[in-house]
Amino acid sequence: MSRIQIDSIRCKGCGRCITACPKDLIAFSQELNDRGYTYVDFTGHQEDCSGCTLCAVVCPDQGIEVWNFKDKQTFVNTAGLTENMTHYCPGCTHGVVHRLTAEVLEELGLLDRAVGIAPVGCSVLAYEYFNIDMFEAAHGRAPAVATGAKRARPELIVFTYQGDGDLASIGGNEILHAANRGEKFTVIFVNNAIYGMTGGQMAPTTMPQQKTTTSPLGRDVETTGHPLRVSELLATLRTPAFIARGSAHDGKHSLQLKKLIRRAFEYQRDNTCFSFVEVLSTCPTNWGLSPDESDAWVESTMMPYYPLGIFKQPEAPAVAATGASHDH
Amino acid sequence: MSKVLMKGNEALGEAAIRAGCVHFFGYPITPQTEVPEYLVKRLPEVGGAFVQAESEVAAIHMVYGAAGVGIKCMTSSSSPGISLMAEGMSYLAACELPCVIVNIMRAGPGLGGILPSQSDYFQATRGHGHGDYQLIVLAPASVQEAVDLMTLAFDLAEKYRNPVMVCADGMIGQMMEPVEFPGEGRGEPFKENDWELTGRKGRARRIVNSLFLAPEELFQHNIHLKEKYGRVHRDEMRWELCGGDEPYDLLLVAFGTMARICKTAIDEVRRDGLRVALFRPITLNPFPLAACRAAMDAMHAKGQVLTVEMNMGQMVQDVRFAAEGSRDVDFYGTAGGIVPSPDQVAAEIRERLAGVRATTPIRLWSGAGLCCEAQGDGVPCAGTDGTCDTCGRAMPAPAAQPAPTGA
Amino acid sequence: MITDTATLMDTEVLMAGFGGQGTLLAGKVLAQASMEEGREVSWLPSYGPEMRGGTANVIVCIASKPIGSPLIEHPRGLIAMNLPSLEKFAPKVKPGGVIVVNQSLIDKDPRRDDCVVISVPSRELAQQAGSARAANFVMLGAYVGATGAVSVEAVEHAIAAEFAGDKARFIASSVAAFRAGVEAVCPRS
Repeated sequence: MSRIQIDSIRCKGCGRCITACPKDLIAFSQELNDRGYTYVDFTGHQEDCSGCTLCAVVCPDQGIEVWNFKDKQTFVNTAGLTENMTHYCPGCTHGVVHRLTAEVLEELGLLDRAVGIAPVGCSVLAYEYFNIDMFEAAHGRAPAVATGAKRARPELIVFTYQGDGDLASIGGNEILHAANRGEKFTVIFVNNAIYGMTGGQMAPTTMPQQKTTTSPLGRDVETTGHPLRVSELLATLRTPAFIARGSAHDGKHSLQLKKLIRRAFEYQRDNTCFSFVEVLSTCPTNWGLSPDESDAWVESTMMPYYPLGIFKQPEAPAVAATGASHDH
Repeated sequence: MSKVLMKGNEALGEAAIRAGCVHFFGYPITPQTEVPEYLVKRLPEVGGAFVQAESEVAAIHMVYGAAGVGIKCMTSSSSPGISLMAEGMSYLAACELPCVIVNIMRAGPGLGGILPSQSDYFQATRGHGHGDYQLIVLAPASVQEAVDLMTLAFDLAEKYRNPVMVCADGMIGQMMEPVEFPGEGRGEPFKENDWELTGRKGRARRIVNSLFLAPEELFQHNIHLKEKYGRVHRDEMRWELCGGDEPYDLLLVAFGTMARICKTAIDEVRRDGLRVALFRPITLNPFPLAACRAAMDAMHAKGQVLTVEMNMGQMVQDVRFAAEGSRDVDFYGTAGGIVPSPDQVAAEIRERLAGVRATTPIRLWSGAGLCCEAQGDGVPCAGTDGTCDTCGRAMPAPAAQPAPTGA
Repeated sequence: MITDTATLMDTEVLMAGFGGQGTLLAGKVLAQASMEEGREVSWLPSYGPEMRGGTANVIVCIASKPIGSPLIEHPRGLIAMNLPSLEKFAPKVKPGGVIVVNQSLIDKDPRRDDCVVISVPSRELAQQAGSARAANFVMLGAYVGATGAVSVEAVEHAIAAEFAGDKARFIASSVAAFRAGVEAVCPRS
């Protein structure tokens, strides 16, 4: 029999752990925590918990830790994040992507020489959460800042953490050319198909017909173009790179995503190439959906248009000028 | 070390290396392109690197990244490119990151032209990005001084943790003159400090950031910056007064190349017995207000002050500020890449001091709403039919009256 | 030769021609040579948007004290490599100045009776010296021979320094062309 420990103060009551638990052992409490959220409780029988850790994997708020049947802790909150509670909305998967990135840096032993670069957007405060040296960059310019930092001190492990407005819109030029130059830093690109911080405007990655405050009738592809597939776009470049897309919408995909992030940082550690991981992420608040519905929307609406996979890797032969080396 | 004959732009590049600069990020633009072209060859020899950025926007943020990890670096551009760097400069100043930015000014506005100009004086001295910040701005008047000020620029950048701009015009950049460089080979890196991001090993983590959502914190940050700029204004003003040892009836104020042209013009009119001195600010920011005022006060009450600029009248505002109304300050200048010749400046001096009508083909402009023809400039235009009775120019529009309220 | 010693001390020369005629280079050599003789110098080119063709001109100032304006409207010397340059700049030369006219391309009198006008068949002399492309150095030689603005040896040294390395093959013909220009105005006795 395993056990989990829920930090009810950190819990924002998004309920993702409730959905993730294969044994239905977690439920909403009847109480509010001190921050005003209906937190979750472990309500099942202790002997039913298998210690699968999926609840902790999907928690965006570092709110759950897990011990196995030998009472050995099998899920520990990473030292790569500070103890600050994030400002992200309940159910937003930024917190998951932060944690996966930090876990990888910790597991690879890179925390002491890592420099992260926060963007402008919802993750503008990422420098409060990553427990490493951090820059805060101007909107869209993180790849330029990373170029300067990595070129100046190649021994550092440099990564940018950018959203879709930051990277795909205002910073389109910077990411394109950093990738084309083969800058040896890592990009974590969080695509949630909307501008979050400014209150739900249309992003370059917004889905066709998706309603936002600046596309109130739904995105019209005739006048606003089609959603930008940044990974596919960058994969057409001849410059060697690791380019992949994962998703953080459930536990299984989050674990797969972590492997991609790990590979990305390994390539940087080994000075191999530019590495880029796009993450399909959720924005329950601006999508107007519950966290559960948001996770489902990623799978039903985003994933068919934004297929998961590896689009380019340095080991692969040079990509033909006509297209990427993947199929989907 | 012996003197070498070098183009201003190349000399700026070599001076940067002697000052310890190891990284350059920039984008091609005339007339500064020799700076990166020189450094792309030279930087690898000192273990540094050159990155041709995709835009000036990217270039200045690459500087932000490299400066943030504690490496001496620079960028250079010319006026339209400097405009694109406004954003990054605001961030660099806000985060107190040391770096050097070279502006080889060309004529504007807009795409303008590629010939020499000083029309970025406001842009440079008013901190052209958003927010309350200042750059330290140095204006060389010769290739040798460009070298000397480049060295000083890196020193001041480190001392005050602030971006420093070396603001020259296309003439300095394109001109060759003999120069002597300080030191040998690559200069020193930044001294040990507590701000560079090098990985948190063995210390608390550091953050390079300019976001302060709490207004009190942001106010405190602004106060901190203001105090720093106060120290800069107290300690770092630099200027030159030429011909101040003897009495003078006219004080010219000019910077950069224009000041050299004024010197030649002064030499010429002195042969006619005219008494003229030149005040040349070397730091455009901080502008040497007190020294400029002292140079004015050294004249008798009827002594005249004339700023001479390659623009439509920018520094003249600071000179008027220095005068604090104690006497009129006139302006004489050209724009568009036309450089006033020493003969033209001399003719203007003669007209003012000896009443000799200038034969200058271009009638130079003399300040909005101030009549340039009336005896003693600074007299407002006057006329009844929309044009000035004296100088014939269109009269400035009267200030708009507030619209009556109610209907 | 020129007798006004004041002119010899401090002078400015404007060299002007088509792009590709080597005016900027000849100007640089003059500046370099003067610098090596301990003079103050400046070399200020005109520059335009075109990379090739068009007109190219440069003002070289040589002085015994720091140079004020490197921009001179009325220079004391003019080396005109082509007709447009002569027409544009000859009227601006100071009275008593020196105008060197490229006779190979210019069949016109600058009508400056108040100046010393020297016509030099630069192309022909350069060809005799080994390279028609060295006409710029013939013109420079004529100017230096006429004015003594700088010593012949210093210019020859500056030419050798300019072409040192992988352009060393140009040194002999350039120096020969320069000497031919000097001798055209002051024949060896």
